[in-house]
Amino acid sequence: MSDDIQHNATGFLSGFIARERIDVDVEVSSKKRLLEEVADLLTVHTDNLNRDTVFQILNERERLGSTGIGSGIAIPHGRIEGIEQPIICAMRLSESLNFDSIDDKPVVLVIGLLVPADADQTHLKILARLAGAFRDDEILATLKTCKDSSQLLDVLHGLQ
Amino acid sequence: MKIIILGAGQVGLSMAEILSRENNDITLVDSNQTELSGLQDRLDIRTVHGSASYPEILEQAGMEDADLVLAVTDKDEVNMTACQIAWTLFKTPKKIARIRAQEYLTHPEIFCNEAVPVDVIISPEALVTEQVLRLIEYPGALQVVDFAGGKIQLVAVKAYSGSPMVNHRVRELREHLPDTDARVAAIYRKESAIIPTGDTVIESGDEVFFVAAHADIPKVMQELLSVSKPGRKIILAGAGNIGFRLAQTLEKYNYQTKLIELNKNRAQYVSERLENTVVLSGNVADEELLIQENIENTEVYCALTNDDEANILSAMLAKQLGANRVMSLVNRPAYVDLMQSSVLDVALSPRLATIGSLLAHVRRGDVVAVHSLRRGAAEAIEAIAHGDPENSRVVGKRIDQIDLPQGASIGAILRGNDVLIAHDNIVIEAKDHVIIFVVDKTHIPKIERLFQVAATFI
Repeated sequence: MSDDIQHNATGFLSGFIARERIDVDVEVSSKKRLLEEVADLLTVHTDNLNRDTVFQILNERERLGSTGIGSGIAIPHGRIEGIEQPIICAMRLSESLNFDSIDDKPVVLVIGLLVPADADQTHLKILARLAGAFRDDEILATLKTCKDSSQLLDVLHGLQ
Repeated sequence: MKIIILGAGQVGLSMAEILSRENNDITLVDSNQTELSGLQDRLDIRTVHGSASYPEILEQAGMEDADLVLAVTDKDEVNMTACQIAWTLFKTPKKIARIRAQEYLTHPEIFCNEAVPVDVIISPEALVTEQVLRLIEYPGALQVVDFAGGKIQLVAVKAYSGSPMVNHRVRELREHLPDTDARVAAIYRKESAIIPTGDTVIESGDEVFFVAAHADIPKVMQELLSVSKPGRKIILAGAGNIGFRLAQTLEKYNYQTKLIELNKNRAQYVSERLENTVVLSGNVADEELLIQENIENTEVYCALTNDDEANILSAMLAKQLGANRVMSLVNRPAYVDLMQSSVLDVALSPRLATIGSLLAHVRRGDVVAVHSLRRGAAEAIEAIAHGDPENSRVVGKRIDQIDLPQGASIGAILRGNDVLIAHDNIVIEAKDHVIIFVVDKTHIPKIERLFQVAATFI
């Protein structure tokens, strides 16, 4: 991993990802189980978000079209009432999983994203910027090989 | 999608067959081992033998991973309990149950996640009843299906020789009806499908499928059928769930309905609950009875007992005795196929009606309605377009720029409350409900992909 990525904590995700919403070596057996795990992570330490509601929102969005952007990455997301700022989680799976992605490749890295129901342009851009950042092969390789969640968090925080 | 189907009856089996061919992961559960044997080899599905509502069986079937459960055993209570357990133990996102008993259906408030967690209720009887009502509303129609909550309808008629549009090109419909917009979606001629252009000439005997706004349907039908004033006399044979329900509904309109029921007690029961319907106790296959009840002046004769053979024979008899249009409830799939080319005007299949409404919930993309047509070979779909030109393959495109598969055509669009009949230059907007006719259902996955948004849609 290159030093500038590891130590640069001023990327566009800074302030949006909390350490407790990062997980590695997550074991799931299906897309449904994966979305449940994402809902769990997204609602960690939140009083106003209901895990089942978040799960339902992620499912409904997935029905409109898979959020698998290819290269083993999925960004399940949705809009939700009751938050002011986006909430982001990240997890790496212990084994890759079919996610009906655009390139039919199974996913291994999952970034969950909730934006406010009346999200502004800055919020909406996070998704596009995430998708853009993951087009970089070097970043992808680094993300997929991080040894623990704090390293994963560092890399995500460094994304420009 | 991972789908668990509970109950290997007619509907369960048909759904397993259709869905396994469409790239889904299917597990079929039934308490009867003989129903399941051989299926695993014939279809690409997994089977589990056991009681469909037991937690252990649902777990064994893989409910933990399932996106959807389809509870279609022959017992309402098993279907409801299975959904309850799927939700409580496995948080299954979508739970669909077939519920037959009117006693439950009259209390829709019980079906919620806090009580009986069923997201979608399928009632074959209600579906068939609505189907017959629409057919009665439009004399001469072979099939009538609703889209956009009934604002748009797709109607099939057999073009009648001597009617205004026969031997005329499709484009002339506009000259015949300058104030009415309609689109001919497909024509079936001697059992093969034609996707019509403006220059296609409609021939006598063609089965014409057209799409129009609800209010315009009668005008378009007049262009394809003989001009005759339809009668108001209706005979329903069989006072079961469907017959009784239909009679009740028809009482709200101006029809003269007679209901024939073999079982004296049942006849007594329904007659006490109907005000303007003549209830007769008798055999539906009794020629004397039909003649005595003035069958030759009957507009619609509808055989609705639970016996396929009795229904078919009595409808054929009624037709021969002079009833204008005869319909028969037909459960067995093989009979439905047979009956299409017989003297019956319409074969009503609860199985096909149920399958259509189930398909709407398993299609990918925001599909709100699916109707199975031509005994399941064709489909009409209502899908909602989402997104913008960046992340949608349809939004921002003119209809003639959309990459539709062979044999598919857009018939109409609901935009807000406005019905737009599809013309090449209409540009699809986000939130449009788009009605698509698909002659060959093997192209459905392509339509699904067309209406799915890219990953960056938020």
